[in-house]
Amino acid sequence: MALILVADDEYFLAVMLADMLEDEGHEVQTAPNGQAALALMRDAKPALLITDFMMPIMTGLELAEAMHEDAALADIPIILVSGAQGGIAREKPELFQAVFDKPYQRDGLLAEVERMLNGKG
Amino acid sequence: MIAGPHVRTGAYEERPPMHDMSRLTTGISGLDQILAGGFIAGASYIIQGQPGAGKTILSNQIAFSHLEGGGKVLYVTLLAESHERLFQALDVLDFFDRSKLGNDITYVSVFQTLRDEGLDAVVKLLRRETKRQGATLLVFDGLLNARDRAETDFDVKTFVAEIQGQAAFVGCSVLFLTSSSVKEISPEHTMVDGVVELTDTLAGVRSVRQIQIRKSRGSRAIGGLHEFEISNTGITVYPRLEALADPGIAALEPATGRVGSGLAELDALLGGGIPRGSVTLLAGPTGGGKTTLGLHFLSQSNAEEPGLHFGFFETPHRLYAKSRSLGIALPASGSPDLTMHWTSLSDNILDKLGDQLLDQVQQRGIKRLFIDGFGGFERAAHHRPRLIEFFASLVDRLRALSVTTLATWEIRELVGTDVTAPARDLSAILDNMILLRQVEEDHRLVRSISVQKVRDGNFDSAAHLIEFAEGGLAIGASLHHELAAPSSDPIDG
Repeated sequence: MALILVADDEYFLAVMLADMLEDEGHEVQTAPNGQAALALMRDAKPALLITDFMMPIMTGLELAEAMHEDAALADIPIILVSGAQGGIAREKPELFQAVFDKPYQRDGLLAEVERMLNGKG
Repeated sequence: MIAGPHVRTGAYEERPPMHDMSRLTTGISGLDQILAGGFIAGASYIIQGQPGAGKTILSNQIAFSHLEGGGKVLYVTLLAESHERLFQALDVLDFFDRSKLGNDITYVSVFQTLRDEGLDAVVKLLRRETKRQGATLLVFDGLLNARDRAETDFDVKTFVAEIQGQAAFVGCSVLFLTSSSVKEISPEHTMVDGVVELTDTLAGVRSVRQIQIRKSRGSRAIGGLHEFEISNTGITVYPRLEALADPGIAALEPATGRVGSGLAELDALLGGGIPRGSVTLLAGPTGGGKTTLGLHFLSQSNAEEPGLHFGFFETPHRLYAKSRSLGIALPASGSPDLTMHWTSLSDNILDKLGDQLLDQVQQRGIKRLFIDGFGGFERAAHHRPRLIEFFASLVDRLRALSVTTLATWEIRELVGTDVTAPARDLSAILDNMILLRQVEEDHRLVRSISVQKVRDGNFDSAAHLIEFAEGGLAIGASLHHELAAPSSDPIDG
């Protein structure tokens, strides 16, 4: 069991993903934008971040850049789920460890989550 | 994959706005026309309509057109539908371009902010986002949901006022989308600068999509209902032809001279040919020779007087075959001297037909036009009382372009001297009228032709025999009096 942070302004997508991850036995927090996610992870550092790209206030890319700059957060692996900006994210492998295009397959995403959590040991 | 703004050309000009205000064009030429040049930049509008009416396509089409001009768009949703579902639906439309997402146009959901923190927090978030994105157009999809959240009308009014106030402050235009039918007394209606309503109703078994500008502050919009359609290019609006700016025919010097009908005997009956730039109605029963007469008329088309066949019945292929079998020499297929424009009779939009006709005439500099026939327009009209106004406006535009027009009108009676239709109203807006009839004489079908009216001209009103012969129609001797005279006034509908 690990703490996973989900950042997505689309509430129902965030809740659906959180439910899926909770069913797998994880603890999940959700945030409606990058800034809220940043505040949450400073309170309680997650083992993994799953973030959308296009969000108000702070986008997924800006969030990843902010984490990259912050020594305390730089080692959190990030999965980006995005409908249209997957290409931009794939050009930045230093920021995003995995990229899923929406709509993504539940099993594929869950397998990637397990792989990352286990890979970290 | 992005297409330029969908531009239609038509034989009309836009009305000047009441004030010289900077415009946010919609990229939909018909909508810009009825909005007298587009939305007013920095103003706010409500776009309302039932689910499925086309609000989302309309607002996204306007948004992507706005990007073409270098604008930035913030698209805010309050709905449960995911953005990805929205993008998938938009993928089939030419204007939608995924590569613009997240760069020039940003879709954000404020559902959670509204639910957890209320309308004030949404207002604050949108102010920050508008500034952060440098947005020049804000689309807010889900005013109805915001209403649900508001405790009083005052809250809604405050919300709308704050959104539009802070947007106007930075020169950003706002479109509020709502599926509720916002009544004219509702508070948000009084706040915004304009209200655009989309409807999808049934006329008989047919679906009719219409758009109406219900309110347009500071701009002389063309009121009433205008039909629109949704295709792969998005929304195309067809303004009501008769509601568009007058072509200014009163100020124009009428065309002078005569043009040949293609039949020397008919030219003689008409007193020397068809008056140039006039509109002639060719009435008769089916099989009476209307289309053949039209082919004679079009056979005179040349580079100086290009011709257009605008028809609903015979396809171009059949028309060429018919002219060959009758021995009427048309300009070769594909020649710029003659254009064949065929439309099937299925589900047409009246003003789209008018637009296509005028567009062809203008694009190709048409001077000889054969419409076969007015019945195709009549069938497209789901609101028939406007037909006379429509035809009056159409023929005025053709006169203004000095097009000599021949249009057919099918009369019901296949055989007989009695003639009903066309109605007197229709006859009154046309310059000339030629009547084709079939009568039975000694168990033989006899066809006749008679000129009923030539505007401002002398003509031979006697009915003459007409026969299909080698080389097309042949006009013969005048008929006996008892056969020649209709037993009632032919133009009494």
